[in-house]
Amino acid sequence: MSAALRPALGAWAALLQRDLRAVGRSRSQLYSSILFPLMLLALLGAGVSEGLRPSSPILGAGDYTDFLAPGMIAMTAIFASTFSSAGFYRDRESGMLRALLASPHGVRTILFGKALAAVVIGSAQSVVVLALAAAIPGIDLAWQFGWLGGAATVIATILALNVMLNGLALLIAARVRTMQGFHLIMNLALFPLFFLSGAFFPLEGAPDWLRIISYVNPLTYPVDLIQYSCWASSPEGLLGPAVDAPVLAALALGAILLGLRRGPAAAQ
Amino acid sequence: MSEAAAELRAATYRWPGGRGVCGIELRIERGRWITLLGPNGAGKSTILRLLSGQIESDEGEVEVFGEAPSAEARRRVGVVFQESTTDDLMTVRETLELHARLFGLSRGERGRRIDELLDELEIAERAGDACATLSGGLRRRLDLARALVHEPKLLLLDEPTLGLDPSSAEAIWGRLRGLRDAGCAILVGSNDTAEAEVNSDEVIFIDEGSVAARGAPTELTAALRSDAVELDWPNCGEAEVAALEEMEGVGAVRSAPPMLHLTVDRAASFVPTLFQRWGGEIRGIQIRESSLRDAWFQIVGRPLDGAGGS
Repeated sequence: MSAALRPALGAWAALLQRDLRAVGRSRSQLYSSILFPLMLLALLGAGVSEGLRPSSPILGAGDYTDFLAPGMIAMTAIFASTFSSAGFYRDRESGMLRALLASPHGVRTILFGKALAAVVIGSAQSVVVLALAAAIPGIDLAWQFGWLGGAATVIATILALNVMLNGLALLIAARVRTMQGFHLIMNLALFPLFFLSGAFFPLEGAPDWLRIISYVNPLTYPVDLIQYSCWASSPEGLLGPAVDAPVLAALALGAILLGLRRGPAAAQ
Repeated sequence: MSEAAAELRAATYRWPGGRGVCGIELRIERGRWITLLGPNGAGKSTILRLLSGQIESDEGEVEVFGEAPSAEARRRVGVVFQESTTDDLMTVRETLELHARLFGLSRGERGRRIDELLDELEIAERAGDACATLSGGLRRRLDLARALVHEPKLLLLDEPTLGLDPSSAEAIWGRLRGLRDAGCAILVGSNDTAEAEVNSDEVIFIDEGSVAARGAPTELTAALRSDAVELDWPNCGEAEVAALEEMEGVGAVRSAPPMLHLTVDRAASFVPTLFQRWGGEIRGIQIRESSLRDAWFQIVGRPLDGAGGS
């Protein structure tokens, strides 16, 4: 390990431990991040499956709850990322961020450490929802390429999604000074994007205009990849990893690099 | 001349909107205490931020222990910000633990140093408590402990006792005096003239981003007469100022309407004469022993907002 990297690793470990403790202590945040997607899965899944009885061939032999599960895993990442970013604002407003920046680490090292902690926390929460979705008897995930490979792909997707969301959050924080403004942006931008990502309804068979919008929507690709890996029983009707993986990797890398580049403005 | 802990040479920094500092010259050596004295917005915090490397100067040079204030140079610098920087979700010990880790202290060093600071600053009993439960005074002690955890050789403190009761403030000043005596360089941004007069080896008046005056407290107050008189006198004209200056035992008169400031040899004999002549025009009067606060008024030409002490 290079001598230059060792202090940075120590700082990242310290920041991760601190943010993990903070999440553990704000239980309401933790519970709502995990319980809200599960509640939506149970209520919306059962309501649509039983009330509307959708007969789309895309659903195959399964029901709407099964289809909804991958979207809820992605939603957990979005919730967790929003909460983590709110923590960034809290650190900035409380002055904690300035104290961190008075340490012998560059501003990007500190921001990367905070983003890393947010990725780990957000991914862990999404994995909990994945595990619960896989374990609940009423939800039937197909794991078309086996559960081991499928779970590994979903976890990698969750990580990349969290990296992208935290890069995006850093970019927003560099522009938007208040937590209220940040939440407004998240509500105005992320939720419509999420609704148009294919998480709530299959894009296959959707009107052309909606599909075009969905293809320029960055959330479409992680949702599609999670659906492909754990829910779908065949590759039909989905973009698949050949499209999703490179697009998501490029988006995640681009967002975090841009976020770290603009980050020093966020830290002021 | 001994090694400078920090030095600014013609340093200039402008914030968006135009405020900032211009052409600041400053040198602080180890074992010395300098107070930057000035009203809110004068540029004290900007100077401290330049030295802590949070911002880079637009012009001029900034050095900390002979090098630019890089992240690496911060290993020898401790910073106490104007506002408390504690995280309500963390405990006192966790706060110190986090910062000790950021400064690369080993596990053994961390334990020893944190226990030492908790005892010295008398917060050991609250070590396991969440910061949310601490009073303002305890939070400031924790801020100081955080800044000291890596045993810095230069301490930058921005209003470290703002809002504290006198005993809490004295506990912090006492600890800082001990550090100065042990060789630490201390640079304080403050508008508390009483503190600056008691503790500082040098005081620098900062007004509207520039150095207005500098020197030891005794040098800055040397030109003052023994008693200071501050008058609320809205209609005081040039003729009255000239008449006052001609009175025996009266020093320079500074007018900053509606206020008038002067120092005199003996307020007890000056004030009756003053009221005999102009009593009907004067709305208020403050009399005190002359201090740095009066040196500020005399040099800068207006009162120091929020000045403490008397």
